[in-house]
Amino acid sequence: MHEARNGSTPRRVKVLVGVFVAGIVALASLAATAMGGSTAKTISVAIVANPQMQDIASLTPSLFTSKSGIKVKYTILDEGKLREVTTRDVGSGGKAFDVVMIGMYETPQFGTAGLLDDLTAQAKGDKAYNYNDLIPAVRSGLSANGKLYASPFYAESSFVMYRKDVLKSKGLTMPSNPTWSQVATIARKINSPSMAGICLRGKPGWGDLGAAFTTVLNTFGGTWWSSTADGKPAQAQINQPVFKTALDFYAKLVQDAGEKDAANSSFNECLAQYQAGKVAMWYDATVAAGLLEAKDSPVKGKNGYALAPVVKTKASGWLWSWALAIPKSSPDAADAWKYISWATGPSYIKAAGTKTKGGWASIPPGTRLSTYQIPQYKQAAAAFASKTLDAMKAAPINNPGTTKRPGLPGVQYVGIPQFQDVGNRCTQLFSSVIAGSTKDTTALSQCQQIASSAIK
Amino acid sequence: MTAADATLRRGRVGDPFSSPWRRRLPLLPALLFTIAITQLPFLVSIYYSFTNLKDRTQSLLPEPTKFVGIDNYKAIFNDPFFRQAMWTSVKMTVLAVVLSLVFGTLFAILLDRKFFGQGIVRTLLITPFLLMPVVAALIWKQQMFSSLFGILDKVLEFLGLTAVPFISDHPLGSIVTVLVWQWTPFMMLIMLAGLQSQPSDIIEAAGVDGATPFGIFRQLTLPHLRRYLELGALLGSIYIVQAFDAIDQMTGGGPGSTNVPYFVYQESIGGGFRYGSASAYAIVVVIFSIVIATFALRVLSGLLKDEERA
Repeated sequence: MHEARNGSTPRRVKVLVGVFVAGIVALASLAATAMGGSTAKTISVAIVANPQMQDIASLTPSLFTSKSGIKVKYTILDEGKLREVTTRDVGSGGKAFDVVMIGMYETPQFGTAGLLDDLTAQAKGDKAYNYNDLIPAVRSGLSANGKLYASPFYAESSFVMYRKDVLKSKGLTMPSNPTWSQVATIARKINSPSMAGICLRGKPGWGDLGAAFTTVLNTFGGTWWSSTADGKPAQAQINQPVFKTALDFYAKLVQDAGEKDAANSSFNECLAQYQAGKVAMWYDATVAAGLLEAKDSPVKGKNGYALAPVVKTKASGWLWSWALAIPKSSPDAADAWKYISWATGPSYIKAAGTKTKGGWASIPPGTRLSTYQIPQYKQAAAAFASKTLDAMKAAPINNPGTTKRPGLPGVQYVGIPQFQDVGNRCTQLFSSVIAGSTKDTTALSQCQQIASSAIK
Repeated sequence: MTAADATLRRGRVGDPFSSPWRRRLPLLPALLFTIAITQLPFLVSIYYSFTNLKDRTQSLLPEPTKFVGIDNYKAIFNDPFFRQAMWTSVKMTVLAVVLSLVFGTLFAILLDRKFFGQGIVRTLLITPFLLMPVVAALIWKQQMFSSLFGILDKVLEFLGLTAVPFISDHPLGSIVTVLVWQWTPFMMLIMLAGLQSQPSDIIEAAGVDGATPFGIFRQLTLPHLRRYLELGALLGSIYIVQAFDAIDQMTGGGPGSTNVPYFVYQESIGGGFRYGSASAYAIVVVIFSIVIATFALRVLSGLLKDEERA
């Protein structure tokens, strides 16, 4: 009986396996044919999850695919995930995406490393795209050695937002181009138990506290690293007296007149506190103004705007952009450019004004000079449009401080790969200085150690 | 049949495909698969730990990956941040384990008696353990500790006290609170099993002899619970020492809240991208863990042996 079973089972199994394998092969070849039919006219795009990008994803079928015949497959990710996915995909030459959305920090680094297509020729040759309409500071932030590596979808600078009514009630006025000491004086004067004087980012992270603090550091005359003659990081400068002055100023201002729970506050927390009337001033991204003046905002119409405060430099506002780039490995670069030209061109901005729920005030701002000449936009964004454009134009993208530094272009970050880690870990220390649990000298000496060993 | 088998085996002495191997053969693919996905990466990590391997974006700097000998290991013992992380790990684990054991025992004692709605109360008490750690951390961060929307500060303000920015001022305390909240039910279940295995005749006898309830607890229940406490402490430490979610969600690291797993994360995929030195850290942690786990397992098997004897 034993032998008999042994004899028959394998044969039956073999037949079954054979049928199974044949079935799978047939299915797979069917699927491959089906996919082959559509890949010719489909491109994959990775974008960051924020309201303007979600708008464009929903408008793409009607405004782009219907005319060009190119289908767009979106992958929408939050900022951290997107950075992880694009770094991996672009860095390793993966073919997952035809177009990726990257920030101003990555663009020049990826570009000079030869990971992105140079868009300059296409951008200049494409009449509908209008290369010269791009705001110069944004364009140069997305370029390296004169080559444009990504096309801006959305861009922002930083400025001071303040409650006109609160300042007026105390008899104070905000200059339109203030210094940090003026802003600090006003903040301390209007600070009260029910309403803090100013909201400044205190949450650890190179893009959170790191961004706001670095603009302050720059204008105080400090820098994270000194530079060699060819623009590489030479020595960490966190142990310099000026770095301590800037950190002490920032931490003291937040402790004296800043928001509650500062070490946990970044853009979203400050926005909530400002809208709830718990802070009277706020230094942050220009894009916040659109939210403060939105139809449903409780502080609509009560706000004034002033340029980013300065100390030793003429301008200190940061510059950031989410931009579309084509990885070198993109399987379909020609269609990818068609998409970028449409998505970041002037005609989409006009279409977004009439076709999106948020209306004119919520179009992707800060990328083009022509945006600020659209009459409907000027009306919808009257309170902040001209100050935003001033801030964008003033952003000192190629010379943010008083000394030579590595990683240019870049204002609120140092455009070298190590900054992400150094910025994250040092801002954890600075954040705990703001919270009062670490001494400034301890934090600075530890940060100096982190920043020196990172560039070894 | 046994005789036939034996003849078969004797007939093929020295043949690698003799019967015992033929029986093990179906297991081999699984074994090879396990080795391939666990041991090979470990060997590769050991190799990496002797190089200065960095991420592609990091190595955009003109610096090819090269062999650096034991430099990475030497750096570990000079790294104050790693020492800080180790110390934070110790504090975090000890505090969380001890507190959740204390609360777990208290709740277990309360649950170890019959009362109306016992089933519901037990389910409610177990719920925190069933929650995903990330969700637990976010709930505590936004709904409890936040000074904007947090319940705790609202209560403090209502009582006329000053609000406390909990996470900013007490990062370690906040994280330990969440860990204790999550792990108390686990300890409670272990303690409950211990309490229910206690013979009731001894307690009755003690009662007849005139012992007070507290005396019974101290003299009889607690000694009986000792090995359950040890088991809880052991399993709790093994899990809590790996805490990551709460730190990532609530503080994002920093002095007082970066523990060893979070430190290694920051060194590698969390922004540092220095895979060479991160591998070295990971291997040092593995060696520490093996040493501690060996002791722990010895204690555990000792406990189980006691159990058999008892």
